[in-house]
Amino acid sequence: MLLDFFQDALFAAIAAIGFAAISNPPRRAYLYCALIAAVGHSARFLMMQTPFPGLHIVTASTLAALIVGLMAVLLSPVARTPAETCLFPSLLPMIPGIYAYKTFGALVMCIYHGTESEFGHYFFLFASNGMTCLFILGGMVVGATIPIFIFKNISFQATR
Amino acid sequence: MTTMMTGETAQPVAVSGCSCGEAHSVKEVCLFLSEYAARLLGCGATCIRVERNIDRMAAALGCEAVMTILPRHIHLTVCTPDRSDSYTYITASRSSVISFDINTRLSQLSWELADGKIGFEEAKRRFDSIIATPCADKRMVLVLASLANAAFCRLFAGDWQAVGVVFVSTLAGYYLKQVLTEHKVDVRVVFIVCAFVSSVLGATDALFHLGSTPGIAVGTSVLYLVPGIPFLNSFSDLLAGHYICSFSRFTHAVILTCCLSIGLCGGLMMMNLGMF
Repeated sequence: MLLDFFQDALFAAIAAIGFAAISNPPRRAYLYCALIAAVGHSARFLMMQTPFPGLHIVTASTLAALIVGLMAVLLSPVARTPAETCLFPSLLPMIPGIYAYKTFGALVMCIYHGTESEFGHYFFLFASNGMTCLFILGGMVVGATIPIFIFKNISFQATR
Repeated sequence: MTTMMTGETAQPVAVSGCSCGEAHSVKEVCLFLSEYAARLLGCGATCIRVERNIDRMAAALGCEAVMTILPRHIHLTVCTPDRSDSYTYITASRSSVISFDINTRLSQLSWELADGKIGFEEAKRRFDSIIATPCADKRMVLVLASLANAAFCRLFAGDWQAVGVVFVSTLAGYYLKQVLTEHKVDVRVVFIVCAFVSSVLGATDALFHLGSTPGIAVGTSVLYLVPGIPFLNSFSDLLAGHYICSFSRFTHAVILTCCLSIGLCGGLMMMNLGMF
């Protein structure tokens, strides 16, 4: 369990650095992205485990994004970057990519399968994956954006 | 670029009440702020940041700015506080690669101007220098993106063989993306082709029975293409009340996800693998 926790944090940090590189951040932001992603993703991992709250992925993602948002806003004046620079790459490892393309895949399967039972099965997969994807995304963005609006003075003056 | 200008006076009036101490007309301010807003939006900034930065700089230059941010255009009106002079300019947003470095430096520029550390002419010079900044080293980005996707595979409980396969498939797919983007190929075609190539390579885990998690290898091999930043920006704009921009960004992200899925489905069909 402890090993899984640290492994989750480590790989989330590597993922955040790599995905941050795609969006061309200032070099000093990489370290903060890695730190914030490691804390956020491992927090979500813990919240979803049964000895701990055992939360659903949507709730856990929202709360983890709140932690990520708070850290990004509070660290942005130290990094001297806008809060989004550290926030968005740190959130990317939590983006429900698997759910997003499974949604589209199920939609395609709906078209390929004409019988009612098969169509119903794939439509269920389409709706289930699509709704999970949308709710995770919505929860993550709400969770991550709340600190930006609460601490407006910090988040919009970080580059001052 | 589509542009429209209105309200030009015969003789440009120098703005009074400006904190930078340099003479400049409302027209000059409007043209500079329009270009600034287009670049900031193009590098992936949220609408609320664009608005705040423009308001801050307009105030520092002794003007007021009102702006409409549309999906492909920015409509900016700059006027003097007493409304004696105004200028309106519509400019096309600059679609460029997402760059938080340029976003950061443009935000810093707005504060330097607002705090009176630099004047209008110096701000224009620095702006030109910032937008000319080249992107990060492509080879470094290629390796880091591949490592990130491989780490992603591990996060989804893929075994080490799957991690290796995902690293190689991402390396090939992302390199292809860089080459096709350089050749100005349509972004939707790029997504379909790259997802196809990455998923075919990702399927080698199942084809050669390399590990015990071939499904995760195929699934995560295309995740580097998921348009995460446009998704996050669209929801952020939604919360800030910029519904048109939010809807536009969301639609763009959904279209790219569909293209990704088309490429993935094509790859899976060719390799005779199922998605579920």
